[in-house]
Amino acid sequence: MRVPLSWLREYVEFDLEPDRLADRLTMLGMEVKGVERRGGQWQDVVVGELLAVEPHPQADRLSLTRVAVGAGEPLEIVCGATNIAPGQRVPVALPGAVLPDGRRIERTAKMGVVSNGMLCSGDELGLTGDADGILILPPDAPPGTPLAELFGDVVLDVDVKPNRGDALSIVGLAREISVISGAPLRWPVGEPLEAGPPVAERLTVDVRDPDLCPRFVARWVGGVRIGPSPDRVQARLLAAGMRPVSNVVDASNYVMLELGKPIHTFDAAAVRGGRIIVRRATAGERIVTLDHVERELTPDTLVIADSEGPLGIAGVIGGEASEIRPQTTDVIIESAIFDPVSIRRTGQRYSLRSEASLRFEKGQETRLARIGADRCAELVLEWAGGTLSAGRVDSAPTEPVETEVAFRPSRVGRLLGLELDPDEQRFVLAKVGVVTRPAGPGVTIPVAEGAQPLEVGATDGALVATIPTWRRDLVVEADIAEEIARIHGYETIPPTLPDTPPPPWQPSPLELRDGVRETLVGAGLFEAVTHALVSPRHVQTFAWSGPDEPAAGEVAAGGRPIAVLNPISPEHSVLRQGLLASLADIVAGNVRQGRTDLALFEVGKGYGADGETAREWWRLAIGLAGDFEPAAWNRPARAADLDDVKGIIELLAARLRLSRPEWIPLTDEPILHPGRSARVRALGPDGSLGLAGRLGELHPALVERWDLRVERLIVAEVSIAGLSAGRLPVVRVAPIVRHPAVERDLAVVVPAAVPAAAVDAIIREAAGPLLVDVRLFDAYRGAPLGPGEKSLAERLLFQAPDRTLTDAEIDPILEAIAAALATALGARLRT
Amino acid sequence: MSLADLTRDLEALRDDALAAIAAAPDPAALQALEVDILGKKGRLTAVSRGIGALPAEDRPRVGALANPVRTAIEAAFRERAEVLGADALRARLAAEAIDVTTPGRPIARGARHPSIEGMAEIAEIFGRFGFVVHESPEIEDDVTNFQKLNIPPDHPARDLWDTLYVDLPGHLLRTHTSPGQIRVMESSRPPIRALLPGRCFRYEAVDASHGFEFFQVEGLMVDEGTTMGDLRGLLDAFAHAMFGAGRKTRFRPGYYPFTEPSVAFDVECLVCGGGGCPACGRTGWMTILGAGMVHPVVLRNGGLDPERYQGFAFGMGPERIKMLKHGITDLRLFMDNDLRFLEQFR
Repeated sequence: MRVPLSWLREYVEFDLEPDRLADRLTMLGMEVKGVERRGGQWQDVVVGELLAVEPHPQADRLSLTRVAVGAGEPLEIVCGATNIAPGQRVPVALPGAVLPDGRRIERTAKMGVVSNGMLCSGDELGLTGDADGILILPPDAPPGTPLAELFGDVVLDVDVKPNRGDALSIVGLAREISVISGAPLRWPVGEPLEAGPPVAERLTVDVRDPDLCPRFVARWVGGVRIGPSPDRVQARLLAAGMRPVSNVVDASNYVMLELGKPIHTFDAAAVRGGRIIVRRATAGERIVTLDHVERELTPDTLVIADSEGPLGIAGVIGGEASEIRPQTTDVIIESAIFDPVSIRRTGQRYSLRSEASLRFEKGQETRLARIGADRCAELVLEWAGGTLSAGRVDSAPTEPVETEVAFRPSRVGRLLGLELDPDEQRFVLAKVGVVTRPAGPGVTIPVAEGAQPLEVGATDGALVATIPTWRRDLVVEADIAEEIARIHGYETIPPTLPDTPPPPWQPSPLELRDGVRETLVGAGLFEAVTHALVSPRHVQTFAWSGPDEPAAGEVAAGGRPIAVLNPISPEHSVLRQGLLASLADIVAGNVRQGRTDLALFEVGKGYGADGETAREWWRLAIGLAGDFEPAAWNRPARAADLDDVKGIIELLAARLRLSRPEWIPLTDEPILHPGRSARVRALGPDGSLGLAGRLGELHPALVERWDLRVERLIVAEVSIAGLSAGRLPVVRVAPIVRHPAVERDLAVVVPAAVPAAAVDAIIREAAGPLLVDVRLFDAYRGAPLGPGEKSLAERLLFQAPDRTLTDAEIDPILEAIAAALATALGARLRT
Repeated sequence: MSLADLTRDLEALRDDALAAIAAAPDPAALQALEVDILGKKGRLTAVSRGIGALPAEDRPRVGALANPVRTAIEAAFRERAEVLGADALRARLAAEAIDVTTPGRPIARGARHPSIEGMAEIAEIFGRFGFVVHESPEIEDDVTNFQKLNIPPDHPARDLWDTLYVDLPGHLLRTHTSPGQIRVMESSRPPIRALLPGRCFRYEAVDASHGFEFFQVEGLMVDEGTTMGDLRGLLDAFAHAMFGAGRKTRFRPGYYPFTEPSVAFDVECLVCGGGGCPACGRTGWMTILGAGMVHPVVLRNGGLDPERYQGFAFGMGPERIKMLKHGITDLRLFMDNDLRFLEQFR
């Protein structure tokens, strides 16, 4: 809310610099988001006194004026307005001035006469809404005075929290400032002069839905003259961020800003039969609202109607037919209380949320209906003339009594950690008008409100606080505690550290996930965090085929995609079911920035629904593109390929103490290259599935279709046991074998279609326990091998824990391996 | 053979040997020479054999004659070996010289994403105070995300969280990590010190300080005597750990429906140090988190007796913390994953 300090000073005195005031308000919970100094936009605009106004010699529609601007010769200025006369004080923009709209004023010739500046309208200065004539200043304004000295102001932008609807007004903030300055609040509302016949003779009100409209107050002002409101009012409304409209409409807006009470004014001539009905709309009923839009109303919309039909949507927007017009003479002032929930739903339903509806939504004290009506009537009489009918139409004139909240000062102290004796607490509360007295017998302390209220019996020393009607936020004991802390000052609460015993130790669910991250970072990969919300196209295109095989204890991917009902855009309207699509987008984005060598990973969730139940699953995705090893000055670059992602997964498996990953050829995964993709599985020490997933080169057709602009994108998406909430395994250290290992190389010739993994498996199986490692170190095709053959060079490492192995022990093993390879794969050894 | 003959032979051998040693061109030649002169079948041994032909009374004097010769020759070998070794080393070093000004061979290392790193840093600090990490679902129900947190349907405070709803009845994408408070209270008993990091979603237009997906870290501490003073002390400790000891903080009223009293917590502007600048809206302060004492209604909804237990909760955005800490001015960088941004965290 924008709060001009000049307006605030009408209700409370304070002697604080604006920045200091802002600081104090912020520390009271009325956070000041900005301090705007108005006046800077009127550089070189001064008060001028019109000495003469004469016809322009060359132009009928222009005048030539002589204007005194303090010291120095009077200036000749050409002016087009007709509302000026000698003796008036007017704003003069001197040559060099820049108006708020950016226009620069120069000394220029206008129709043959030099004009030494410009006389300004209120609109040109952003000071009033009047663009038709020159702004006429008060007659006592001294010529030559900078306009900023007359109208300069400081406007605070205050963020009033939703629970403090009472402070969403100038008077409400003045109340808060009176706490700071100690000065009393000057209450603005008086008794308007009632000179007309009783209002009941002209108007009746029938509230058919008192649950949605607990109070409806109306007043009648006859014989008004519609016109602009006084300049100072317009200036004030503009400073507070509201456009001036006309004296009557401005009066209602003024009351809303001043007291926080939204008011609506009707042209009484448009209210047929002198009867207002507050009711729910009937199905299909229509109304043209003030914004010139015809709307069809639903039956849960509360309307203000006459006998013929709706006049406005209650609390949200008025109707065009009954709005105040230049020819309006009789005005009905509506000052009502509406149900906050109903107003909120209505505003949302019609996408119409106004300054008025925002205030209604926060709830209003019912007294304000009467006060607002009186204040608005007072201002209409003052600014638009007319006669106020005697009395009010009031649907519920009985005003509620003040509520009481009992509290225990000892409990307040224990909650805050602030030693504050009961008398001090009472003193602090008194500053905001909360009067306290000792609790008598039978008083209960409200601890919790809502669906399961909790009240407990008062203990010795309990107090009863009487809550001012406007403080609807003070309901339970904790509210009183906050109020005491707020007024006494949060800064007076001494900082301490908890001295109670901490909870028993528990492992972090992030331990394994962070271990995976650290391993990949160490391997040179950058972590990405991409959107969980993607487009349906992302989900469909990157869907895995067939059922998902999650690692042990992890949630399986699947279920239908979950859609957002109110998406921010179609591009982010569905929850992803895998990580690859958004990772591919990140690759594409980086490539477009010229970064083509990419090694990325993401640890993130996929989402799906089964019936009405959601599931979320954790996955690791890897994406490699461009060079995996960058070129050095003495080394060529090496492009990423499938072996890199396999190496990364092998590293992870080693870090997580899983078995060597098993690579299973995958030829029919639509998003992957059929000749360059695999499933992976690795087992935990107990034989459970520790890691499972798919990897490969993204299908070249998809690389093309997704416009990735990379030659190849190597991807993997795996499920890892414990990624959702697991711990890292503890290393069991094996004794170091002191007997040397024996290395033997075998060149195994097999048909070209035989996978290396098959050779590896047979070697391991046939070798027995002395084989500690086998590693493929070369693969060869060509002469002297047959055309359908390949040779796999395997390095075998044998070792025994208790002795040095001899050829006599190893040679039979090698023979057994050769025999097994021959039998199983038709392999022969090349020597 | 006389003593004089032997003396002459020894002296001749010595002179000859010293000359040959001095002339040896490299360590190999020197070694051959050593075998030739000092070896078992070497020349010095051969000369010494002449002792047997000497008269018996001269024999004791032979040692006095031969030993100085042997010593002199051995010393000459040592000296020459040292000289030659140093020459060889010098030559090798000269031959092996490289251009040391070439750049090093790159070693690969990536980096954690700053959002993730931010959450880890926060968890690390609060971990020292006994806080334990918990997680709760991202697809949350309205009851836990709002209603149990004292935000009934159509409550005006719902404007604080623009919500994305999903096509599962009664469900939404959690707008904050606060529903985790309810889940922790429902699943554990005090003393509770829980930290809840995770992804959140809001219906927000993307700009330099807003996104529709972001992370939060929620904290919850509930016990019998946990006070607002404890909250203040802990937040001060956090601010000092994250932004530097001695960094001024400000503890002021805020508003959340699920805390009472509610708190907003600021640190002295990291850009201007408190003097006021555009980065802090000229206030000298930057708000880093919201907090408060858990509302009795929320304690009750979490299954705890508000007459017995009290505590506090806080919530912060790790991106905001990282932005302040590292001088990042645009939130969008976090979701763009531009390598030029990510690699700065290596």
